Amino acid sequence: MSIPDGVLEPIPSDAYPEGDVQHVRLLDEPLKKIHQASEAIGWGLSLEELAAIKDHFQQKNRNPTLIEIEALGQGWSEHCCYKTSKPILREHVFGIQEDNVLARQDAGILEFDDDHVYALRIESHNHPSAVEPYGGAATGVGGILRDITCMGAQPMALADMLYFGPPTLTDDDLPPGTKHPRYLTQGVIAGIRDYGNRVGIPNLAGSIHFPPDYTTNCLVNVGCLGVGKKEHLTHSKSGPPGSLWILAGGRTGRDGIHGVTFASKELSEDSHEDVPAVQLGDPITKEPLIHACLEIIEQHLVEGMKDLGGGGLSCAVGEMCEAAGVGADIDLAHVHTKAKGMRPWEIWVSESQERMMLSVDPTNADAVREILDLWDVEHVTLGETTEDTNVTARWHGDKIFDLDPIFCYEGPEVERPAQAPPKREPGPNPQAPNAWDKALIRVLEDPNVACRAPLLRQYDHTVRASTVIEPWVGELNADGHADATVIKPLADSWKGLAWASGLNPALTKLDPYQGSLNAVDEVIRNLTCVGAVPDSLADCLNFPNPEKPEGMWIFKESARALGDAARALEIPFASGNVSLYNESHAGAVPATPSLLGVGLVEDVRDVVTSDLKGNDLVLVGETRDRFGGSVFSKIQGANGEVPRVDLDALKGLAAQVSDVVAEGLVTAAHDPSEGGLGAALFEMGIGGGMGVRVDLSQVHPSAVAAMFAETPTRWVLETEDADALVDRFTQERFNAQRIGEAGGDSFAIAHGGDRLLSLDVDAAGDAWRSGLARVIGGDEA
Amino acid sequence: MEPRVAVLRMEGTNNEQDIKRAFEAAGASASYVHIKQLTKHAPSRLREEVLDYDVLAFPGGFSAGDYVRAGAIFASRLEAVCGDALEAFYEDRRPMVGICNGFQVLVELGLLPGENGAPRKGPGAALTMNENDRYECRPSLLRVEDSVCPFVEGYEEGGSVMFPSAHAEGRFVPGEGSSVDALLEEGRVVFRYVDREGRVDPGYPWNPNGSPGGIGGVTDASGTVLGLMPHPDRSVWGFQHPDWTRGLDPEERGDGLALFEGIVAYAGEA
Repeated sequence: MSIPDGVLEPIPSDAYPEGDVQHVRLLDEPLKKIHQASEAIGWGLSLEELAAIKDHFQQKNRNPTLIEIEALGQGWSEHCCYKTSKPILREHVFGIQEDNVLARQDAGILEFDDDHVYALRIESHNHPSAVEPYGGAATGVGGILRDITCMGAQPMALADMLYFGPPTLTDDDLPPGTKHPRYLTQGVIAGIRDYGNRVGIPNLAGSIHFPPDYTTNCLVNVGCLGVGKKEHLTHSKSGPPGSLWILAGGRTGRDGIHGVTFASKELSEDSHEDVPAVQLGDPITKEPLIHACLEIIEQHLVEGMKDLGGGGLSCAVGEMCEAAGVGADIDLAHVHTKAKGMRPWEIWVSESQERMMLSVDPTNADAVREILDLWDVEHVTLGETTEDTNVTARWHGDKIFDLDPIFCYEGPEVERPAQAPPKREPGPNPQAPNAWDKALIRVLEDPNVACRAPLLRQYDHTVRASTVIEPWVGELNADGHADATVIKPLADSWKGLAWASGLNPALTKLDPYQGSLNAVDEVIRNLTCVGAVPDSLADCLNFPNPEKPEGMWIFKESARALGDAARALEIPFASGNVSLYNESHAGAVPATPSLLGVGLVEDVRDVVTSDLKGNDLVLVGETRDRFGGSVFSKIQGANGEVPRVDLDALKGLAAQVSDVVAEGLVTAAHDPSEGGLGAALFEMGIGGGMGVRVDLSQVHPSAVAAMFAETPTRWVLETEDADALVDRFTQERFNAQRIGEAGGDSFAIAHGGDRLLSLDVDAAGDAWRSGLARVIGGDEA
Repeated sequence: MEPRVAVLRMEGTNNEQDIKRAFEAAGASASYVHIKQLTKHAPSRLREEVLDYDVLAFPGGFSAGDYVRAGAIFASRLEAVCGDALEAFYEDRRPMVGICNGFQVLVELGLLPGENGAPRKGPGAALTMNENDRYECRPSLLRVEDSVCPFVEGYEEGGSVMFPSAHAEGRFVPGEGSSVDALLEEGRVVFRYVDREGRVDPGYPWNPNGSPGGIGGVTDASGTVLGLMPHPDRSVWGFQHPDWTRGLDPEERGDGLALFEGIVAYAGEA
């Protein structure tokens, strides 16, 4: 084994013979020089971190090998070890209703019924999607499917929460090195479509926003919900010493190298040069891999299973060892690769897709291999689990990696200074419009409100035939939007799961604390609209560079809000993901805590949808004239204060709404969100193919507030017995009032003596349907 | 005796659960059969024979990714693995049904629409890209036509049914020597897209893919091979109808169930 000079600059991996073990001259060179190498090569290690690593190797009295430094770069990246976020999350969101969470590994596991669990996870694929939208988004779907599968659950529903810049941006306004929002939107949607549809998992929740803050940093958050038998719950850890490491699925390639370190820094004008950090997706390798893994789990043939995601083989083996308190001895020469001549460090850190690591008792190995073979899933056996807790990796028998997994994969924690930005004046509330009908049309056409069908009908919602409430409700092809979708996971049970998202970045931008409370409020409203009882949340926390004090401050504020809300509602965060450094030369994203919520539906035959059926309309909750972040403010160039959430009211009202829906007192339910009550009434009408006749004078003395304020914690309920329903709420001292009735073919809205507008249902529908199609492309139905 | 249904699958077929449950609801016993189980590469205890089954079901999905023409790879692998058995199955007039990607496979196998009243070598029609050039998922209404297909006897002729559509390549274009008119005349068109008023061959979105003549499903000359783009396997029960909260009973039969019952009844009689 020859020991060459050592690596201190980027060199092509074929510049040295395959069998050579490269070292890094960490003990011999000034740290500054090593740090320069770290920046140039893409290890992403800071000076302090390199000093700590140097200490470790001084005790070992040797220089690290290149593969060890590469693995440490990954293991200690923000993306892998959450070094900045963990202390904050521990303070605010960890440990809430922890008893409800049965397991918390690649996905969070909660009880569905006596014999079944559900698995929940959301994850970001932001940086890859910004430079290669199709592949970045597609592999986001692939990764989340593996997270659910490796826990022993069948993926049942996908969701995605997407944030792009305005599709109307002119080329002159596009910062250098940035891809146009329209291109990114179309690429991301196509990537999600082609991957999700090909593996046959319905896409049932999510959101798309187009504010300017995301122009240089689009966000792609992908979630998945699965269901499995309790007895099949599988942990992401190694079996006892002697267990075999079987790597199954796609081949390992040079795609996706330095993916996590790329995700742990800001984007720049030259980020397109980082395309090699984006993995390539192959759903047709994934689809049989899911089948095979679930079959192996059902036959109880596996000790533990973990998907290979960020950090690749290195993190998967290390974390499975760490979780079980064992070590590993594996040979990387056995790994099946896409390219010839891949160097061991590349194999160790590559984040190639469609791979799963199985820990298997030797007596079950043949049975496992038989199942993989039947599905034509490639697999190799890499080595054994060891008593010794170090992870040892070899290359044709020679030891090239030997580290304690706790040192390598736990990573450091860092405390960073936080500083609130200067106080902002809220600015004036918007004025009453001259023409209310035109004002409502403007709101309905807004890209953040307009009909989602031109984009989202490209996803399959009905595959698996267990969808009870689709994203589209009401009359066929009317494209009414569901608040939450509902699936019936088991063929022989009427119990269901509701699934919904929530976040409005216009609110978090102005006030990360209140904006984040509003996000929780929205998820809870959505779930209760169908009569579900909210059961858990998953959060994907997308934030700017935490090394800047203001970025750190908004992260803390948002985490504090999420914790406060979850504690008040007594709902746990089942799983979470943090994506920092969503910042570039041209700006930073606002606080973007994308939330997915799961609700339990006792009997899916009792759910309701948002489309009007022709009965009375009741508004539940208080309306206030806070317009900050509202669509109407934006259109008018005004602003105002961000609406505040009263968590006690939310908790009480949510429980009441779930109850009255489940009891059958309600024929339609919807919550006012973007566009306020005006948009909400329209949305209910369009699904039902009818208008409304309402008087909003009791909603708020100001007609603008009544129509367009986006006050949280409100629901519009349609009912055959308005008096009984109003009583039900007022008895509990909640505000509820009959505002009018559904029916007719126009939206007739008055405020006391003022007739605000009378708008034809079809004309309003045309404006709403054309809003996105016009700016993104695609047909209107 | 319950007819035995083989639900054929390979990598990328992903609607096998939908179609299996649909046949089970219709009273059949249905099994998944992976294409590899038809070859000697499977362990002997897992080996299967096509001719041991009464019905062949070709499920939806993206077999082999559909990266070349949809269904082409699945069809050519089937021909290589069990071409003779498929021919014998067809000669026996045992039912074959293909939904969505399965329809594409039957076209690629030359079974639909066939030629001169018999199967042909290679496809005799194309299921090509939707007119709007992209994948779409939306409900479709279909009129049950007067056809030679015995499987649709449970439906009122001329009545319309709701089957969800979910495809990118669904525009049915007959090849040389065939035409929409000829197929209609021969009673080979089983389903046509209609709008809410029951008008045949409506525009988008009621005809989701722009098929000429609004053709949604066709049969062969014998009536025992049926292919259709929309998914009756996703509207077996009321709760699977997207508008069920507007007055349908979620527990009641959905529009798709009668089709599977028709196939099962035919297979039981044969």
